[in-house]
Amino acid sequence: MTRATIELGNVTPHNIKQLKKLNSVVFPVYYNDKFYKDVLEAGELAKLAYYNDIVVGAVCCRIDTSEKSRRLYIMTLGCLYPYRRLGIGTMMVNHVLNYVERDGNFDSIFLHVQVNNEGAIDFYKKFGFEIVETKEHYYKRIEPADAHVLQKTLRSKEQRNGTHEENGKENKKAH
Amino acid sequence: MPSSNPLPPKENALFKRILKSYEQKQYKNGLKFAKQILSNPKFSEHGETLAMKGLTLNCLGRKEEAYEYVRRGLRNDLKSHVCWHVYGLLQRSDKKYDEAIKCYRNALKWDKDNIQILRDLSLLQIQMRDLEGYRDTRYQLLMLRPAQRVSWIGYAMSFHLLGDYKNALNILNTFLDQQQKGSNFDYEHSELLLYQNMVIQESGDFQQALTHLKVYNDQIVDKLTYKELLGDLCLKLKQFDKAEKVYKELMKRNPENTLYYIKLIEAKRLTETDEIIMFYLDLVEKYPKAMPPKRLPLNYAQGDQFRNLVDKYLRRGLTKGVPPLFVDLRSLYVDPLKVEIIEKLLLQYVDCLQSYGKYSDTETNNGPKEPASTLLWTYYYLAQHYDHLSKAEEALKYIDLAINHTPTLIELFVAKGRIFKHAGDPLEACKWLDEAQALDTADRYINSKCAKYMLRANKIKEAEEICSKFTREGVSAMENLNEMQCMWFQTECALAYQRLGKYGESLKKCHEIDRHFTEIIEDQFDFHTYCMRKMTLRSYMGLLRLEDVLRGHPFYFKAARCAIEVYLHLFDKPLKDENAEQDIDIENLAPSELKKLRNKQRKARRKAEQEIAQAAQAQVKKDQYHKSKQQGDVEADTPQLDELIPEKLAKVSDPLEQAIKFLQPLQSLAKNRIETHLMAFEIYYRKEKVLLMLQSLKRGYSVSENNPKLHSCLIQFSDFLKRVRDSLDETVKEVLEKETETLLRKKNSTELNSEYLSKQGDSIEATLECCKVLYQLNPNNQECALKLVTSLDNKFKDVNIQTCANVLKALKSGALGDCDSLIEDFKLRCHKLFPYCTDFRPAAAAASLNLSNSCDANNHAKSTSATELQNSNSN
Repeated sequence: MTRATIELGNVTPHNIKQLKKLNSVVFPVYYNDKFYKDVLEAGELAKLAYYNDIVVGAVCCRIDTSEKSRRLYIMTLGCLYPYRRLGIGTMMVNHVLNYVERDGNFDSIFLHVQVNNEGAIDFYKKFGFEIVETKEHYYKRIEPADAHVLQKTLRSKEQRNGTHEENGKENKKAH
Repeated sequence: MPSSNPLPPKENALFKRILKSYEQKQYKNGLKFAKQILSNPKFSEHGETLAMKGLTLNCLGRKEEAYEYVRRGLRNDLKSHVCWHVYGLLQRSDKKYDEAIKCYRNALKWDKDNIQILRDLSLLQIQMRDLEGYRDTRYQLLMLRPAQRVSWIGYAMSFHLLGDYKNALNILNTFLDQQQKGSNFDYEHSELLLYQNMVIQESGDFQQALTHLKVYNDQIVDKLTYKELLGDLCLKLKQFDKAEKVYKELMKRNPENTLYYIKLIEAKRLTETDEIIMFYLDLVEKYPKAMPPKRLPLNYAQGDQFRNLVDKYLRRGLTKGVPPLFVDLRSLYVDPLKVEIIEKLLLQYVDCLQSYGKYSDTETNNGPKEPASTLLWTYYYLAQHYDHLSKAEEALKYIDLAINHTPTLIELFVAKGRIFKHAGDPLEACKWLDEAQALDTADRYINSKCAKYMLRANKIKEAEEICSKFTREGVSAMENLNEMQCMWFQTECALAYQRLGKYGESLKKCHEIDRHFTEIIEDQFDFHTYCMRKMTLRSYMGLLRLEDVLRGHPFYFKAARCAIEVYLHLFDKPLKDENAEQDIDIENLAPSELKKLRNKQRKARRKAEQEIAQAAQAQVKKDQYHKSKQQGDVEADTPQLDELIPEKLAKVSDPLEQAIKFLQPLQSLAKNRIETHLMAFEIYYRKEKVLLMLQSLKRGYSVSENNPKLHSCLIQFSDFLKRVRDSLDETVKEVLEKETETLLRKKNSTELNSEYLSKQGDSIEATLECCKVLYQLNPNNQECALKLVTSLDNKFKDVNIQTCANVLKALKSGALGDCDSLIEDFKLRCHKLFPYCTDFRPAAAAASLNLSNSCDANNHAKSTSATELQNSNSN
């Protein structure tokens, strides 16, 4: 049997409803119109994942510059239930990791995850993410309302003053 | 240039410059030179100059002046071939081809060897299919210009078109003999040879054609056509071994062409099913990537062999995710045994895929699992499978399973819409197509489908809006779709307007479509010169033959049927005058108020008229602007067509004459469709043309003698004859006597009706027509008729949404008398059979059902909630 093909594609005004549909099925949280408006501007930071030419997953990120650091925030990363454990999530995370590596100027990548979502926590740990904080009552209308912050550090505070080239090398070693 | 009124050298030089300016499209200069001649009092009435001035004006869009000058010029110089030629050109630019031909003929009277006029004449003759005239003109051209290739070809073609193959071939041979010496074997020469071969084949001499083909093998550069012709001729001449060799080579060249497989079977003279299947199976190995050797044996195999083959075929398609897999296999569904086998296999797949991710139990432990999408495609197939079998419930079950599995696959929403369409709920269908369309707004196919579903749900404005995503900006979508000759859209619009009772609008669309066909026929004009010059004679022949039967196209049939139905309706129930209606309303008003109202109305009317006039003027200006921008030349200058105004169309004074205009092309080009003759009968019945009624019935009878509608037409006819018999002419009576023998078999209506009912009683459609007749013959039969037609029991083999809807419509229309109490009961029973169909929905249930449907739509997307890979933030 031939292996299925998995590839990433852009989010465009033409297919944005597919992303909405996917998110509405995968996540218990509703995202507003502003979210999708920003996604259209996000370029490589928002991607659809195709499995045999069908949209089955998506990743949406933004750059976060609060707390005096430049961090990549993964807003959503998800895959339809029947298509899990097929390497689609991994491909999307790798896309994000490649992006920050090429950019070379990020301090870390972080995201929120519901505390009971063990599958997701284990998944991100494989890529070097760690739980760095737990926020209570982070979610408004879903249970449990608490969220872990998962973070993957790309360079420590001391390294921030170093040159880009060095940071790049550091990054590669970390993988 | 002989003229009865020659100009002196100076003016003559100016006149030549007018001609030159015209040829070079420098019309302003042309007018300048014309003025220089005409301003001289001696020549102010010079015919040829006046004519040329007119022709030049025509190119600048000043049609009225053009006619004035050309006619004046002609009057002043009736013996001038120039004046006649110019008049002909002017008529031609107005598409008055018959008139133009007359003008050219007059021109030739005064200058019989004028090449230009002869050429122009020949173009008009071929356009009008005056084949004999064409042949004579081409003969003169050949005599005048024997050195030109076109002269010979044109003359030969004229014989070919007349079916005189012998002469056509003689001329081609003579011409090719002269050519041979040059030995420049290019593409055009090769096309000419293939054309010659075509003529030989049409003459019926296949042996000669084969010899010809072989002799010129090395001069024919289109090797594919050469081989296909060779194979075909070998088969026709029963030279099977040679044919086999040729088709094997062709197959190697393109193993996807199904025709080669079928022809190869013919060449190998395989007739036994087993042989044919073996033949295909061998080829699967030879061409492992080709589809035909996998798909075609499914048409032949039966039983276990079919099961094995279709099993393989289905698995391959489902694993790969071939969206049109069902459409590909649909043609097998004529065989119920095959349907059963397919269904069993698919249900087994679903079971095993759900449990182990494999197609069957036997392979649980070996090999990798199927891709995750396989189950999805299996659901999708099953949904279409049950939809095809009219099992809406099952179809919806599987489509919902599929949507729950993968809510991002657009095809699923299209399929869901289609299921609702087939189940009789066009609104719900339209909703799902809108959903599909929104998921990928760059997909034009789904966009068009969505528009079509909207039109089926009578949402014309919405459909136009959806289409506007793909039409040119700056123009209304409706206008642009008309310009693009988008006929499916216009046909569906016409039908939607018909359903909505907006008859004028509906007719407008039908006429627009009719005009597209006229335009396509006119468009061939340019090809007469082009194809001859480019030597693409085979395609040219194909084009001429296509244009001859153009209105036989199903698109025309649909539009014409709609137009005829509307015109018949307008004849039966003419639209009331709106003003008259208003007058009734205002009867109660006080005189002073009435006066005020009248004034107001008058003002409003005047304003509206002004606006219309302004709009029309603007339109004319715009058109002229467009025209002058696009083209300056006379030939393409199209005459202004009357604007189609819905109100006017609906208030037509002669609806039956209009209907006949749409009917006539059908009578010659769609005569194998029973509806053509039924419509013809309906028209002539209303016109009381007894012999034409008879003709329609006879033709209908020869197409389908047991057609239910034909039966009721026959009864109508028989009653009509009874009424008018005494007033008929003796000879007519005699004809009728003789011709109705097979149709009416000397029986009266009651006998005919009961005979037909006993013969066709297992058809609800036939029963309906019989019952209508039964009631019309005697209202006392009502109870019996109603009982018969509303029974819906197992004896009917054709109970479906359409037939039941027809019965309901008949009940409501009063064709079976007053039966209100029965309608709800009948509806309820239909509703049980077809729960999704809106026509049968009980009034009370309609509201709640709609509500629950829309809830379903919102819910199912949410019902899968996922947890494994999710992370979220309220942003």
